[in-house]
Amino acid sequence: MSVLSDIVVILLNGLQQGAIYVLLAVGLSIILGTLKFVNFAHGALYLIGTYAGLFVALNVPLSNGKLYEWGLTTLGLEWGFFAALVMVPLLVFVVGLLMERFVARPFYDRPDTDQILVTFGLAIVVQELFRILFGSNSLPFDQPERILSFGSFAGIPVSGPVALPIVGNFPQWRLWVIGITAVLVALVYLLVEYTDFGLVVRAGTRDAEMVRLLGIKITRPYIVVFGIGAALAGVAGVVGGPLNVVNPTIGTNILVPAFLTVVIGGVGSIAGAVVGGIVFGLTTAALVSLAPAWSQVGLYAIAAIVLLTRPQGLLGDEEVAP
Amino acid sequence: MSEKDANPSAKDANPTANESLVGGDLLSRWEQLRGREGTVVGLTAIFVALFPWLFARAPVISDFLQGYQSLATLILIWGIFAIGFDLLLGYTGLLSFGHAAFWGGAAYAAGIVAKNVSGDPIVMVLSGTLFAILFAWVLGFLSLRRGGIYFSILTLAFAQMMYFMAASPLAFLTNGENGLTGVDVGSLFGVLHLEADIPSVGGMLLGTWLYAFVGIFFVAAVAVAYRILNSPYGMVFRAIRENEQRAEFVGLNVWRYKLMAFIISGAFAGIAGSLFTIHGAYVPLQSLFWTESGDIVVMTVLGGAGSMFGPVLGVGLYLYIENIVSTIQVLTIPFTDIVLIQDFGYYWHLLLGIVFVAVVWVVPDGLWGIIGRVRTFVSEKVGGEQ
Amino acid sequence: MTPLLETENLVKEFGGLVATDDVNLTVEEDERVSIIGPNGAGKSTLINLITRRLDPTSGDIRFKGESIVNLEPHEVVQRGVSKSFQTASIFPDLTVRENAEIAALAAERGAFGFEFLKHRDSLTDVHDVARNTLDSVGLLDRANTVATDLPYGDKRRLEIGIALASEPDLLLMDEPTAGMSPEETKSTVELIEQVKRDHGLTFVLVEHDMEIVFSISDRIVVLSRGGIIAEGTPDEIRGNEDVQEAYLGGVEI
Repeated sequence: MSVLSDIVVILLNGLQQGAIYVLLAVGLSIILGTLKFVNFAHGALYLIGTYAGLFVALNVPLSNGKLYEWGLTTLGLEWGFFAALVMVPLLVFVVGLLMERFVARPFYDRPDTDQILVTFGLAIVVQELFRILFGSNSLPFDQPERILSFGSFAGIPVSGPVALPIVGNFPQWRLWVIGITAVLVALVYLLVEYTDFGLVVRAGTRDAEMVRLLGIKITRPYIVVFGIGAALAGVAGVVGGPLNVVNPTIGTNILVPAFLTVVIGGVGSIAGAVVGGIVFGLTTAALVSLAPAWSQVGLYAIAAIVLLTRPQGLLGDEEVAP
Repeated sequence: MSEKDANPSAKDANPTANESLVGGDLLSRWEQLRGREGTVVGLTAIFVALFPWLFARAPVISDFLQGYQSLATLILIWGIFAIGFDLLLGYTGLLSFGHAAFWGGAAYAAGIVAKNVSGDPIVMVLSGTLFAILFAWVLGFLSLRRGGIYFSILTLAFAQMMYFMAASPLAFLTNGENGLTGVDVGSLFGVLHLEADIPSVGGMLLGTWLYAFVGIFFVAAVAVAYRILNSPYGMVFRAIRENEQRAEFVGLNVWRYKLMAFIISGAFAGIAGSLFTIHGAYVPLQSLFWTESGDIVVMTVLGGAGSMFGPVLGVGLYLYIENIVSTIQVLTIPFTDIVLIQDFGYYWHLLLGIVFVAVVWVVPDGLWGIIGRVRTFVSEKVGGEQ
Repeated sequence: MTPLLETENLVKEFGGLVATDDVNLTVEEDERVSIIGPNGAGKSTLINLITRRLDPTSGDIRFKGESIVNLEPHEVVQRGVSKSFQTASIFPDLTVRENAEIAALAAERGAFGFEFLKHRDSLTDVHDVARNTLDSVGLLDRANTVATDLPYGDKRRLEIGIALASEPDLLLMDEPTAGMSPEETKSTVELIEQVKRDHGLTFVLVEHDMEIVFSISDRIVVLSRGGIIAEGTPDEIRGNEDVQEAYLGGVEI
């Protein structure tokens, strides 16, 4: 393989890894920016998304956990991946609304530390529930073969290798992850930049007090912001699930990189979250192939450098930063 | 130790400070105050002396508690960690999710020094603590660059970085995933083997030399923390917690005080982490993982952040449930056959999470706060009837 | 003689909005200056620029002849500029005494120290300053009350007390009577008068209540749309037609 093809592979892998970070970071960032709410349970939404996606798309064997002990050896609807991609974000959207209403809202006026503590506690509870129900062993989330397939319609093949110029064969699913992410993030961006809803969100990011004074009823946009952020985490779970192991700790494990993405990108900035996610993805991918021992460390080193040189984040606005 | 002695917060700091305002004989007041500090430290020492006996050896009580010597030692070690952590969380209002870096970092530093330089327990504690202080300085400097919420996220992030460093790039030092094995802890002052039992009455009360060694650090930690809370720092820390902006606008360098709070609490974590290595002669990689930071947060908040002994209570309960209660498969109401929960070991972490959320939600001052309110309630009831 | 405080061509823009427009303000030692102006005239912005809560877009601020635009807020306080906030910005769970002691500590012992093993009760200088301040704002008998339990008027008194305990050379007061009942306002004005007599303090007052402004000030500065449109003694301002036109809408004061 040539150096050039190595570089392209690193770029593609990096974009794919970054895509997952971006999906999580965009949600975290708009919630943090608009609602000033720190959600340590955002990883739990990813966890819910992954498991829900798995059980909607496939039928998987269980090997431990209470459900298994109660006699359930396999679980899943086997409705296919496309169904998961549509249903799971809706489900997690609703979970997000509930979370906003019953967990976040009572804590808006309480100190940041209380918000972090309560969402951290919630993350533990969700993780433990999943561990108890589905066991702590990793579950197999096979990459989908086709999407948009329903009934007799065969759909579009999305798995297996695809021949690309320069690099030759490349796992097709990774490209789909990049594509799906790009489309969704573009949609959220358009929503925030060009609609009345988005105006309130942007104004809220600048100064929630001002929006309230202007008399715009802020509750509904807030709750929707939370829902959208949650739904994006759900999507991340569905598309990211097949690329990683699936077990109850994935939610807490992804939380740190997701938050760091927000911090280096700049809070409240969708573009920042995208840039941050891509920077992290590319760094990780590059280190995985060049210096595997350091692959997990690079992301933190970059975060440290950004913080020292540009504390408000790459695309952050100093005035917005809380 | 009574609540009043134990909790130098706004309300009960009054009686002493009160007199300073009115004037009065400074010298006698000074004596009186030293007495108060002496009381706290003395009661702590008595507790430390009786604890392992009550927990592991006393007739009836220990049968009921089913405690053991090594767990008593571990509780004191985590207790030191929690006291320091609470200076930061409870008093300064800074929630660090990265204290595993100082706990685990010191544990590794102590272990590596023992393997390569000297296994003298005092050298181990000194080197581990020194490492924690230096590292807290660097990490605090980075994490405090951004205020508020960023602090929690950044401390969490940089502590995770330490974990991954230890796991792979620094594996030649840390032995990677397997943890640092074969740490040879030498004897104290060259004569006392820490694992050995103390002869005669001392042995009956304290058990091992190791416990006595840890116990001395625990009492010292209480004394130092109590003094810090009664120093200008204690007042400044609480002022920062209450109204950071105002603290800046009375002319205090809030940033440097916060950094000091972070370094001080890092030092406590460092002492505890070093003792943890001495206690186990082994450093698991897990000691740097973020769940360790999460545990100290949970213990401190459950017990009662913002009080001197609440966090220690939290530590005791947490470790007791984790190590003893969770091994009981069928949890019954004591002295009855009424089954509370089957398979308790399986569910205990979930229950812990639920209780934690409830505490944060309803009683942010934790169990210690509840105890305090019950005491007040009872004394008012009794007082009212008289 | 150099003025105590001077701002030179001070400008602050928020996005496209000019909140402070080329302001040249001087305050001489021992002077009582009030800043008035309609809502949104940029009074609070000006105060926040001087205390370094906000960064100016351009211009300079000098205190005792030295530029303070590159200092941190606490450094400005250490130089001798103290501020009382518009709302009672106190330490709610600390006692009244501790509230004053915090400020006295910063004034007596500097912005930072390493005395974390020294007992607080040995800081007699701090206690003295705190006691005297509480005495002068009339809260000495409530010294052991937890601040949050004070009635609103007393909280505002404490707010001013905290600012005084910093032992400032210049005190900036941002609407000290905002949200007060008539009685509370009256006693606050008396407090300011008394502080003026006892401490000979130089202060800058931002206030809506014209009665207070005209009775208390040596000089009045009128802001409108971020810029100074008039300044002079109370009598001069009372007769100034520009001011009546732009600010008071022609109403006779």
